[in-house]
Amino acid sequence: MKEELERLFAEALAKLKSAVEERQVAEIKTEFLGKKGKITALLRGLVNISQEQRPVMGRLTNEVKVSLEEKIKESLAGIRERKRKEDLLHESLDITLPGRRVPIGRKHPITEVCNEIIGIFLGLGFQISEGPEVELDYYNFEALNIPKDHPARDMHDTFYISDEVLLRTHTSPVQIRVMEKQSPPIQIIAPGKAFRCDSDVSHTPMFHQVEGLMVGNNITFGDLKGILTIFVHQMFGDKTRLRFRPSFFPFTEPSAEVDMQCVICRGKGCRVCSFSGWLEILGSGMVDPEVFKIVGYNPNEITGFAFGLGIERVAMLKYGINDIRMFFENDMRFLGQF
Amino acid sequence: MKVSFNWLREYVDIDLAPDELGEDLTMAGFEVESISKVDTNLNNVVVGKIVSLKPHPNADKLSLCQVSTGGHLYSVVCGAANMISGDYVALALEGALLPNGVKIKNTKIRGELSQGMMCSEEELKIGRDSQGILILQDGLELGKDIASALNLEDYIFEINITPNRPDCLSIIGIAREIASITGKILKIPKIEFREGNEKIDKLTSVEIHDPELCPRYSASLITDVTIGLSPFWMRRRLESAGIRPISNVVDVTNYVLMEFGQPLHAFDFDLLSERRIVVQRADDGDIFTSLDGMERPLFSDTLMICDGEKPVAIGGIMGGLNSEVSEDTSNVLIESAYFNPTNIRKTSKKLGLQTEASYRFERGVDYGGVIRTLNRATQLVLDFCGGKAAKGVVDQYPSPIFPKEISLSINKTNKILGTSLKKGKVKRHLKGIELDVKDLDRDKVIVKIPSFRMDLHREIDLIEEVARLDGYNNIPTTTPVVRVNTAGKNPAQVLQDSAKDILASMGYLSVALLNLNVEHPYKRFVSIKNPLREDQSIMRTTLIPGLLNTMKTNVYNKNLNLKLFELGTVFYSVEHEKLPKEKKMLSALATGLRYGESWSFPGEGIDFYDIKGSLENLFEGLNIMNFSFLPTPDIPYLHPGKSSIIMVDNTEIGTVGEVRSAVLEGYELSNNIYIFELDFDLMVKHTFSDKKIKPLSKYPPIYRDIALIVDESVQFKDIYNAINKLSNKLVDNIQVFDVYRGISVAHGKKSLAYRIKYQSYERTLTDKEVNNIHEKLVSNLVEKVGARIRE
Ligand SMILES: [Zn+2]
Repeated sequence: MKEELERLFAEALAKLKSAVEERQVAEIKTEFLGKKGKITALLRGLVNISQEQRPVMGRLTNEVKVSLEEKIKESLAGIRERKRKEDLLHESLDITLPGRRVPIGRKHPITEVCNEIIGIFLGLGFQISEGPEVELDYYNFEALNIPKDHPARDMHDTFYISDEVLLRTHTSPVQIRVMEKQSPPIQIIAPGKAFRCDSDVSHTPMFHQVEGLMVGNNITFGDLKGILTIFVHQMFGDKTRLRFRPSFFPFTEPSAEVDMQCVICRGKGCRVCSFSGWLEILGSGMVDPEVFKIVGYNPNEITGFAFGLGIERVAMLKYGINDIRMFFENDMRFLGQF
Repeated sequence: MKVSFNWLREYVDIDLAPDELGEDLTMAGFEVESISKVDTNLNNVVVGKIVSLKPHPNADKLSLCQVSTGGHLYSVVCGAANMISGDYVALALEGALLPNGVKIKNTKIRGELSQGMMCSEEELKIGRDSQGILILQDGLELGKDIASALNLEDYIFEINITPNRPDCLSIIGIAREIASITGKILKIPKIEFREGNEKIDKLTSVEIHDPELCPRYSASLITDVTIGLSPFWMRRRLESAGIRPISNVVDVTNYVLMEFGQPLHAFDFDLLSERRIVVQRADDGDIFTSLDGMERPLFSDTLMICDGEKPVAIGGIMGGLNSEVSEDTSNVLIESAYFNPTNIRKTSKKLGLQTEASYRFERGVDYGGVIRTLNRATQLVLDFCGGKAAKGVVDQYPSPIFPKEISLSINKTNKILGTSLKKGKVKRHLKGIELDVKDLDRDKVIVKIPSFRMDLHREIDLIEEVARLDGYNNIPTTTPVVRVNTAGKNPAQVLQDSAKDILASMGYLSVALLNLNVEHPYKRFVSIKNPLREDQSIMRTTLIPGLLNTMKTNVYNKNLNLKLFELGTVFYSVEHEKLPKEKKMLSALATGLRYGESWSFPGEGIDFYDIKGSLENLFEGLNIMNFSFLPTPDIPYLHPGKSSIIMVDNTEIGTVGEVRSAVLEGYELSNNIYIFELDFDLMVKHTFSDKKIKPLSKYPPIYRDIALIVDESVQFKDIYNAINKLSNKLVDNIQVFDVYRGISVAHGKKSLAYRIKYQSYERTLTDKEVNNIHEKLVSNLVEKVGARIRE
């Protein structure tokens, strides 16, 4: 009987080996382990053997049964695994087809750059102020130490609404409006639109600026350099070199133009920087005592600095845009890239 | 300003290369915008001397010259007539290629050998004169390359002079700065000439009637001058500065203008009635013909230079045609004056006339240098135009200006700059730019300001000079103590950011539109007095035309599927207010395919419900809760059947709809376009800031559907409201899930299908209970709205 058992086991294994479908395995299971299966029959036949042989043979037969069940499970698993692999093979997609994209919008590059600039100054403890775009001559010029008939007015091609009212030519009037309302210390930025009657590759009648003002008891020119250095490093990378050079704005003294190392050629010289290696990025200076007097501060006690930068200029450098008018043409092919 | 490198070197020794000098000037506050090399490209053109000259044997108009180049003698046939034996000339030898394309070869002209060509300025492209050959100054080195002999190679610096530094609108002014930067000595030209015996006071006089507008007026007189061409080098220098040479006398005045920055004017003395000068205001309405031939209306604040009976020049701006120096002039009066800067600027603006002179006078010229420059001009006229100078000058100086003295505290300087400069160093810096500095006490110095630095009148001006001269980059970079602020952005600014984010997430691109416009659907618009263009002549009152224009540009570029928005300002004039009201608006436009061109999306066009959905998302995203849409046929630019007013908490905050085709025609558009425009300032007021969540039910909901066939005129909201009214508190949500017209629904009717969600927050509902409630609801509804149940 033992031989018979081993023979059946071997036969079953051989059949299992050649089985390729689940159905075949099921048949093999029925053939050997089913109610009328060959091994089941052997088990049933145990009643016919001697009393002392029975437990031995019983255990042996059971072992074979368990082991065969195990093999059947393995075989089934194997077949299923093969089947799954085959199925996956048939189900494969053309994953090179483009994904199903619901079009998403983008923010205008000026908005993006402006937010980035604002973010840096918020981090430095500045607050945001705003002022009107249609402004009084007084705030735009006179209070900034640019009286009527001052040659510095030539630096501003102004749109006038009336003799007293104009489109602000810079965001600097916000300085005055803030200082009129608040007493020092003051630490604000004022992003916004400004207007000049000028239109070419590098000028549009409307453009965006961020104004900054920091006023207090012991603010120095060195501090101006410090804050603007932090700004440029955060905006353009902390390896960017800077230089400060004398300039003239009627509402600051000393005044400084800030150049940064050309981001295109890294200072080697290229067309963008007119081969100088430097790019003008900011106008700045210590608030002129005249301005403090106008807003009722005591210039002997209070010092401070102000600065202004063109957002389009920063965006042009950041994204390699060479015509400022592109910002306002709003061609989707342009806007979609930000 | 254009500044010649060679010219600068006449006043200061420069060891630096042009680009190094440019860098130094820029860092000293004189921004060099460009440096261009002047290259003549003249080869084989050398200095020659005519040693003999005789007529050509076979031609009347030609002559035969022997020209020496030092080592060599050349025979040259020449057609010009302006040279004599002994003249120095520019000789082009065999192999030379002239700028006009002529190649010089040895040749025979009418049987005579010609080994080169004597050239005119024009042929060498180094000047405009083509009347005869160029006669050089005597004594040049023979055989020397013409470019180096005449210093033709040069660099022109384009320097941006800021309005506070009129002293640097001159070659000497820049040279003075270079001297201070490099520690060299400024060499001012020696002014010496022989005066005649006749005293100028006997020959002419000057009267100033308005000392406020003309604090100083001086004049010199030179008789018997010969008008002609000024010397080559002078013309060349004027050209390098961008000034066109005219004649020797005029060129001298312009030369001194560029050299010292003092505008001068030369009058034909014989054309001045009564041979005298009167400085006075014009009368309103007078007309005067200026040098450029233009008739100029005058005003009572226009300062005129007059003779005994009539105006002869607009003071400080431009001379008159009636006293112009011409070929026939033989006696000249030269004016050197100081005019009131503000009045010059006013006049120049009023007349719309800006000249080299007015540009300098309005910024302020050196009132102390008036006589020196007058003498310089006299010297140069005598040198190059001949004639005889009257003895002395006329100098009317009724309101003298005295040099200022300013005290400067070293402590204050260091406090403002954040430096620790020592007094000695500060003094050295200031002395380096010719300021007179003396100690006042331990901390302070007293600084006497020279007449050419009118921009220095306060202590802070000196502090700036100290910073500039020490170098901004030597000032230590420090970080100030920063205040901790409570909030960087106010709620409106935060809401703007959110609105932009939400719209972008729904596929809208943000655009930047000009605030300038032409359309003015509202009467209270603000218009610009001096617009650049007709279509940018008012401040916008709505963002919609800008969006439609943007769409037009994009359609032209074949971008047809567009979702655009802008959050920007509009302007309305307000009665009795100087400034207009500024309001923030949020507008968007949607057109084209809902999902754009895609292989996997149906190509469905955007319609009203897309833009309405965008608005609903936007409001919810911004926590604006209580909003509703009211149909309206009254918005002039929107389709009457496809437009709506948007209400929030019973306040109208905007409109939405399809743009009328009549409006689109104006933009040459024909697409279906949907837009909305919202008053953003109002939205800010209606945003709900303390949002609390609604609890979630632990029990499963039960859904029941109901489809009703109703007349077309019945609206979704009618039924929705009816259901709402009829339902008990177990109705948690009502949703429309199908709107159907067509087979099985009669013409003029539509089927609306609603899904009702029954939900308790206290227990599990049973089917039976819900069925009861639902059946009651349905029968009530049928009765109430006259609907039929669709099976
Ligand atoms: Zn570069």
